[in-house]
Amino acid sequence: MKHKPYAILVIVTMLLLLAACAAEPIIETVEVPGETIVETVEVEVPGEGVVSEKSIVIYNSYQTDPDPIAAEKHLISLFEEQNPDIDVVQSNIPSEDYKQAIRAYLTASTPPDVLTWFAGNRARFFIDKGQIMSISDVWESEGWNEDYPAGFKALSTVDGEQYFLPTSYYWWGVYYRISIFEENGIEPPQTWDDLMAACETLKSNGVTPFTIGTKAPWPAAGWFDYLNMRVNGPEFHVNLMLGRESYTDPRVETVFTDYWAPMIENGYFIDNPSAYTVPEAVQFMVDGKAAMFLMGAFIHNVWPEELNDDIAFFQFPIIDSSVPVGEDAPTDGFFIAANAQHTEEAKALLAFLGSAESQQYFADELGRLPVHSGVDTSGFTAEQQQGIEMLQGADYVAQFFDRDTTPEMATEGMNGMIEFWDNPDSISSILERLETTRVELFETEE
Amino acid sequence: MSRAKLTSQLTPYLFLIIPVLLFVIWIVGPMLCTFYYSMTRWDGFSAPEFIGFSNFGKLLKDPVFLISLKNNLKWVIAFITVPVASGLGLAVALNREFPGERYIKAAIFAPLVFSMVATGLIWSWIYNPEYGLLNQVLTLIGLEQFAMGWLSNKDLVMWSIIFVAVWRQVGYVMVLYLAGLSGVDPTLLDASKVDGCNRWQTFRNVTLPLLSPITVVVVIVSVIDSLRAFDLVSVMTRGGPYNSSSVLANFMYIESFHNYKMGYGAAIAVVLFLITLVFIIFYLTRVLQNELEY
Repeated sequence: MKHKPYAILVIVTMLLLLAACAAEPIIETVEVPGETIVETVEVEVPGEGVVSEKSIVIYNSYQTDPDPIAAEKHLISLFEEQNPDIDVVQSNIPSEDYKQAIRAYLTASTPPDVLTWFAGNRARFFIDKGQIMSISDVWESEGWNEDYPAGFKALSTVDGEQYFLPTSYYWWGVYYRISIFEENGIEPPQTWDDLMAACETLKSNGVTPFTIGTKAPWPAAGWFDYLNMRVNGPEFHVNLMLGRESYTDPRVETVFTDYWAPMIENGYFIDNPSAYTVPEAVQFMVDGKAAMFLMGAFIHNVWPEELNDDIAFFQFPIIDSSVPVGEDAPTDGFFIAANAQHTEEAKALLAFLGSAESQQYFADELGRLPVHSGVDTSGFTAEQQQGIEMLQGADYVAQFFDRDTTPEMATEGMNGMIEFWDNPDSISSILERLETTRVELFETEE
Repeated sequence: MSRAKLTSQLTPYLFLIIPVLLFVIWIVGPMLCTFYYSMTRWDGFSAPEFIGFSNFGKLLKDPVFLISLKNNLKWVIAFITVPVASGLGLAVALNREFPGERYIKAAIFAPLVFSMVATGLIWSWIYNPEYGLLNQVLTLIGLEQFAMGWLSNKDLVMWSIIFVAVWRQVGYVMVLYLAGLSGVDPTLLDASKVDGCNRWQTFRNVTLPLLSPITVVVVIVSVIDSLRAFDLVSVMTRGGPYNSSSVLANFMYIESFHNYKMGYGAAIAVVLFLITLVFIIFYLTRVLQNELEY
């Protein structure tokens, strides 16, 4: 008698187990935070017996900062004005959540039609799984094949088809305190030797040449990207990212032993970099304890306004002038889900977002760089102009380490870099470990 | 069985149906699903692929798993020694009336009330090697050589984080022991005084044994909390630098949600569950044994 209720409980549990797990684990229709309910809006035209249907397009975005959201909403309302029979159903989700949720979005039975995303491997991941619709026809009809620089078109193309619409990007460079350079009689260096000489001068005058914060390890990856691209060329670098080259290749080891390690050993970086986040590292520059920071243009987000006149950037110095010039320019943009239900409307929205007018507005409002070459750049700040020139002159535009390679390889790689930083002599064993991971991830079929 | 007796026997279970159902749906169900997923390869996206126990085999060879286990062990050892001893010491010292006793006790307990994330954040500022309070004070009093990279030195980082957890835990243990001490029968203490025991002997032979139920609870809870540790690590270092402060919960989070290896993450969760289960069974048997005495 006493054990009867326990028996019932066990049976109930087993039934639930069967129901929950034996069933297809794939999410069919999924309630994901931020996804709005889809409705087709029916508009009744008074006086006519006919009900005409307004079509919709579902648009999901990871913009949640106030300025980008406002700019985005403005653009969407412009689109709706120009296309009165299309309603845009918009959802904005914070980007960290978005990165996890996007997988659920794309497999839902009614996926969003147009989504914001990052170019590079992040997009490649979904393209390879057939989750992104080919938009070569839109590229063709909108004339983007002519209006978009070759580097960006290459970025959006897989096997001859375009899948991604790149719309805004920003540059990376060596940001420096103008006043500190002037005090120490240094000109922005253009070659590696010039840079080393500048570091020596700064150091002897009590200023640490470079600051960096690697608590989140990606700033270190910036150094790897640039050193590898300058020494071995962007093609080798990108192939390494795609898992087609080996981490134990002597060319990779050279980057660490001949360029990076000497800098660390000569004290050209601040101590304990892995204790600092990027804003904390910037503090060293603000206080004049360090002079330079290899960073993206978004350094301005944390740079104090009163020092806006005392910061500028120069292109990462050339190491070997015979090597093509690669630059990191992480690019954001849009794509259409392969299972989109409103293809025509989605392509219309995409065409609008990729137009010169859209990008002009976005660039003017937010200070990002537009990809469309038809955008009038005369109103841009001097720094923006400098950034554009640098990138348009580049032979290849890379997306940055953790967007160019798979997330797991990126984590391993970046951890390896931090370990190297702590103990430069251990680089060979680190590279061997990375190579094992690479083989496992890229060559063993998952 | 008479109708009345049946009703009275069933009534408790009827009341229990809703909570038990919720428990089964939200706790037991997902737990069983996790066991299933731990035997698959799943990227959260395509269909899961059954691969038997190979996730577990891979886990045993994964250096990060071993580092995480070691770090959790450090945490366990620290947690069952330092907060227990100092909590007990503080409880004994403060178990009397003195001006401001409530405020002092509240102050010691306060860290538990603060959000773990806020605690971790503030402490990582304190630990900042260049601008943080700790190193600045050390330099000020002439102990510059001890001003180190508390969160960037791979040998120090885990202990730095554990220190914050211990600092937080002491208040909790102290409050438990204060409650226990108030339950100690004063006549027993008087009797031991009459028998000629000094304060230390009284403490060791009378008070401490009477506190043993509390000690068991404290130790078990400390072990479980140290196996669960996630917030502080995630906020202060994310398991860095290069995994030196990785703990099992953090490792599981990164593998599942950052590397998209849900099956592997589930395997880590299962291992964590099994380790914790050992302690929970131990605790439950003791509690149930005591219950039956009445």
